[in-house]
Amino acid sequence: MIIVKDLKRCYGTGDTAVRALKGVSFEINKGEFVAIMGASGSGKTTLLRILALLDDATDGEYTIRGLKVSSLPEAERSYYRLTQVGYIFQDYALISEMSAAENVYLLSMMEGKSKKESYRTALEALEKVGLKGKHDRVPDELSGGEKQRVAIARAIAKRPDILFADEPCANLDTTNSKQVLDVFKELNERYGQTIVMVTHEPWHTDYVDRVITFKDGSLLSDDKKMKVKE
Amino acid sequence: MINDIRVGALIAYCSVKRGNKKTLIFIVFVLSLIFMNLVFLPSMIGGLSGLFTGFMQDYPYGDIVIEPTGDNTYINNADNVLKKVRAVEGVRAGTKRLDVGASINHKQKVVGVTITGMLPTEEYEISRYPYIISEGDFLSDLSRDEIIIGAMIAGTGFGSEIYDNLGEVRPGAFVDVTYSNGVKRTYKVKGIMEGKFEVVDLNALVHYKEIEDVYGLEGKEATSVVVRVDRQGTEAQIQDKIREAGVNEQIFTWADKSESLIRQAMQSMGAIDTMSKIVSLIVGAALVLIIIYINVLNRKKEIGILKAVGITPRSIVLSYAFLSTFYVSLGISAGLILYLSLMFYFQANPVTFYETLEIRPAIDPVLLVQSVVTMLTLSVIAGILPAWSVSRESILKAIWGR
Repeated sequence: MIIVKDLKRCYGTGDTAVRALKGVSFEINKGEFVAIMGASGSGKTTLLRILALLDDATDGEYTIRGLKVSSLPEAERSYYRLTQVGYIFQDYALISEMSAAENVYLLSMMEGKSKKESYRTALEALEKVGLKGKHDRVPDELSGGEKQRVAIARAIAKRPDILFADEPCANLDTTNSKQVLDVFKELNERYGQTIVMVTHEPWHTDYVDRVITFKDGSLLSDDKKMKVKE
Repeated sequence: MINDIRVGALIAYCSVKRGNKKTLIFIVFVLSLIFMNLVFLPSMIGGLSGLFTGFMQDYPYGDIVIEPTGDNTYINNADNVLKKVRAVEGVRAGTKRLDVGASINHKQKVVGVTITGMLPTEEYEISRYPYIISEGDFLSDLSRDEIIIGAMIAGTGFGSEIYDNLGEVRPGAFVDVTYSNGVKRTYKVKGIMEGKFEVVDLNALVHYKEIEDVYGLEGKEATSVVVRVDRQGTEAQIQDKIREAGVNEQIFTWADKSESLIRQAMQSMGAIDTMSKIVSLIVGAALVLIIIYINVLNRKKEIGILKAVGITPRSIVLSYAFLSTFYVSLGISAGLILYLSLMFYFQANPVTFYETLEIRPAIDPVLLVQSVVTMLTLSVIAGILPAWSVSRESILKAIWGR
């Protein structure tokens, strides 16, 4: 589903240049739940942002479902982000003046769905992440775990091909982290959702099918069905 | 595009619905003052201008005035001109006048004036002279050896202390008039007129026949033919019709005359007005720009997030366009209420100028529409610019500042 070939990313030029990715290659299949791990600065977040079309690679190429998305013009990248990719931020990234439902159905409206249909889709997505009855609350009225679940609902409401999650539990306690990971697991198992998640926490790997580990911008290991030992 | 508009409207709606209400009230208040500033001064200037032009219509020029061509002192066939004028459709009334220079003497006091010879009965249809007699009576068709004197030269009205006057002349008193050709006549003062306007109150009126006798005219001459029309606003058309009717003298509308007379004064006022308008617009646009800019900076991350999840930059810019349109619309509405309240106040309590002139501001719908459109356009542009600028930034820079 995702094919990455010799992907490189370099920030800055000359002596101050930072090589965040030094030519990584791998493939992710449809329906996989993958964890990307590594120390800070290892390049995992950079990789995720490039795959989610939030950033550009300096060199190399990657395809999603056979489409060379790296070469798409900005308008099509925007459309691709809207319809094909779900991205979950570490700090929830909700719009503070919008209710949970509005945060979710905004994207459906952007896709051209009617307000009624968008609202219904948003309620379904919120229900799926265990937030039934909290659709009218604004982010300030929700706990950290609930906010992250709204962010997940926003990402999954449009039924994207792939869900990217950048340290989704970084700001959550263990209970809330488990709730979020349970949602991911359910999405993966019940709906076959492909999920690529960046994480620091070894115990998160209990939930995934595969762990890709980065070190200093290079791929250190790619272990299918193998858990990282604490 | 429709989706962009829907999403832009939703973002703007949520921002207004859940945004800080105190900030909103402050913004609307400041914008309302800016709008007020934009329309209030021109309304006062309009009122002042209307007052002067109204005087010009009511006294010396009527709606249309016909004057001699070239260096001629008189219209030599004034009756013929009047006949042609009266036959023109849309003309309500016309009369001839003779203006001459003279000095009036009363108890060793001498004042220089313009004396207008007029046909009293016809003036009731033409001017307000018959209606501004503060003491005594207006002239009649049989008035001979009688004169109406303006209050300022009579010494009974405001302005007497500024101008030379005859020292409180009252109806029944006798004054000596020396005309510009040296002929002297003694007149009984029949009335004092008070128009609260120098052009009127520094003049004197006698019967047309008096001037005719003094200057040895033949009853056909006039220094002006003053015309009133049935419907205001048709002056220019009737001016053309009078020309087409074969009148070859100089024909002016009241607007032509007033414009040349008060042009200088109005030009200075107009310059102040224009500067005031420009400053108001710049301040208004800058305010909206600052408000939206601060708003955009505070939400730079949210803008990045919106882009990251697939919201188009166009939707984001539109949301700020809607937001600034909303702010400015509220500001204009509040400004209109404030403006109309002040207009009603000044209609009831006019500004007194020069102790006698009461200036009531003029509400000009064209000015209001112009101001609304200008303020909306400028403010929306000022609102869009910062949003457009941030929406063009890369997602990484907008969200994470790099």
